[in-house]
Amino acid sequence: MRIALVGQPNSGKSTFFNAVAGYRSLTSNFAGTTVEYTRGRARVNGDVFELVDMPGLYSLTSTSPAEACTREFLLEHDWDVLIHIVDASQLARSLTLTLELLDLEAPLLLCLNMMDEATRKGMTIDSAALSNELGVPVVEAIAARGQGIVETFRAAIKMHRQAPSTPPRPFLYAPEIENAVQELAEVVRPGGSQRAAGAPESRISPGRGVAVISPPIAGAQRLARFFNPRFEALQLLQGDPIQLALRDPVAAQATENIAAQITQRLNHPPDVALSSARHAACLNLFERVVRVTKPKADWREQVDRLLMHPLWGYVFLAAIFVGFFRLVFDVGKLGEGRILALFEQLIAILGQAMDPQGAWFALAQGALLGYLMDAVMHRLGLHGTATIPVLLGYGCSVPAVMATRILPSRRDRFVAALLAVLVPCSARMTVIFALVGFYLGAYWALAIYVLNLGVVALAGNVLAKIWPEIAPGMLMEVPPYRRPSPRVVLLKTWWRLREFVVIAIPLLVVGSAVLGLVEFFGWQNAINAALSPLTALLGLPAAVGLTLIFGVLRKELSLLMLMQALGTTQVNSVMSAAQIVIFTLFVTFYLPCLATLASMVRELGRKLTVAAASALLVMAVAISLAARGVLHLFL
Amino acid sequence: MPSIAGLDPAVNLYQAKPHSLLRISLISGGWGVRRNLNQMGLHVGDEVSIIHKAPFGGPLVIESRGNRVAIGQQLAQKIGVEVVK
Repeated sequence: MRIALVGQPNSGKSTFFNAVAGYRSLTSNFAGTTVEYTRGRARVNGDVFELVDMPGLYSLTSTSPAEACTREFLLEHDWDVLIHIVDASQLARSLTLTLELLDLEAPLLLCLNMMDEATRKGMTIDSAALSNELGVPVVEAIAARGQGIVETFRAAIKMHRQAPSTPPRPFLYAPEIENAVQELAEVVRPGGSQRAAGAPESRISPGRGVAVISPPIAGAQRLARFFNPRFEALQLLQGDPIQLALRDPVAAQATENIAAQITQRLNHPPDVALSSARHAACLNLFERVVRVTKPKADWREQVDRLLMHPLWGYVFLAAIFVGFFRLVFDVGKLGEGRILALFEQLIAILGQAMDPQGAWFALAQGALLGYLMDAVMHRLGLHGTATIPVLLGYGCSVPAVMATRILPSRRDRFVAALLAVLVPCSARMTVIFALVGFYLGAYWALAIYVLNLGVVALAGNVLAKIWPEIAPGMLMEVPPYRRPSPRVVLLKTWWRLREFVVIAIPLLVVGSAVLGLVEFFGWQNAINAALSPLTALLGLPAAVGLTLIFGVLRKELSLLMLMQALGTTQVNSVMSAAQIVIFTLFVTFYLPCLATLASMVRELGRKLTVAAASALLVMAVAISLAARGVLHLFL
Repeated sequence: MPSIAGLDPAVNLYQAKPHSLLRISLISGGWGVRRNLNQMGLHVGDEVSIIHKAPFGGPLVIESRGNRVAIGQQLAQKIGVEVVK
């Protein structure tokens, strides 16, 4: 048995998934794409089933690859029950997707998540009435507190057991629209009455999202198993660009004719007519099943007012950043002894292969910082499709670059990826803290951080000039602040630490070994000499040349290797304060690490990656040179 | 297909006064604009109000039935509104 979770972004799907299948989950790619979904085995009350978590989507009309893949998966019908998870506090809007899902005419369960949020907004939802109106079971949940999760899955399992039940009725539009839909459905139906004889049926199949990417044969096989002419007709009429580009000529002509008829009769193009009809139906439904009273006074309103105030908002933002930097710095100092003791034991076990303890301390701090950053950014409510990759960048550039695939255009993906690799990831923050923070103080580290924000903003502006956006501009949801559950916090921290231990330590060991070899054979002089034009230009000691190469493997390595190459953990005894700042700036900007470059190639292609990397390198030199010019005034 | 893009709204959303109740009278733009706005739950005829307006040509935060959406200047200028009160 397979249950699929579908829902709008921020509806809490992943909370459901993690609650029952989080430990044994697998991330898979849709065939031929980089779009991922998560699946895992789950056991609820002794019933074992497979659970699939799809990327969030607002509508079945697809524009981004992620939406196209989700729709394709839903159309394949390779699932037994579909659970639509909605944010109950956004019920009116969320129901439009429910209406679209009804068109699939397959087992559907509606789960009203975040009921507490709805109650706070003064909404009383009559789920029994809603269930009656929609003709599908409705369950309530507050997944963040673990309420209603088991009940939701039990209801889904029960639905499956009672099969073959009658599929839900699709949502019917007003007669003049519905007749037109039926007319077009007749045309696209395999062997449809108005189809030209001999027109190959497989030509309809590319109408499915992924068929664009996967071989047409797969599309034809799916077509044979499941094909819903009414659904297909609806998508065609709504002008789904992926379907329009690949439909067959007979259907194309029919779509155009029928769309023109609708436009003439209703004074709106069909996409507006259908969307408005769904919207109106949802508002009606909302009126019938929801009673709205005065919302409770909410602390979040006050927080909003402060954080979004034209003047105080920026003051608070600055205060949060300063407080945060002090926190990491001071807490780091407190924990330093204990963390060092822990790592010393670890080092003893590793056979005392490495000694620079300062680096270990800094690395541990970086992991903590990366995590905290993530939480703070989310708390600030800075979500939204395009900002997610950029914010993820504060943790690690690799998932940040991967996250750009939710963006619809290549241009947006490139811009978001470039900005995402510009923001300092936890590894680069480690370098900033361990060098500038450690030797010059927390405020210098903060200054580098602020400078970085400035560079990100500037780069964004310049990119917008060079490659203007086609999309009409920003439009994103502003979700309310939500307290993260302790479980999720612990899980996330664990994943971060695990990744750090599993990936970073072997790399550091290997890196040290390679450096040892390089020194043994006396190659470092040749490498440093080759890089000396660059290091001389930046006013850095020639010995750091080699560390820049290691920095590309992994940013923390440049720190560790710096200590190796200089032959001391007391970096300030060999380098001046200005040199430390310039080195840190250069390492922060010059090139993303190998893993990031690899994921950039995957998401953007080789050409754009080379372009991005060259731009970064030029920028790093420019920034470091500017710093060299300015710093002698202060240091 | 008659275009609705040719019409010039008397007031666009970006020019409207914050905190007053507005009704969307027109969405001038192509398929993509309409779809994006519709997906965020914004349709012609919906009542909205501006909650925050960021300085320096920044985005607006608008609310429609408890649903908050941040919207950029360019897009806001494509939305025609009439003042309800």
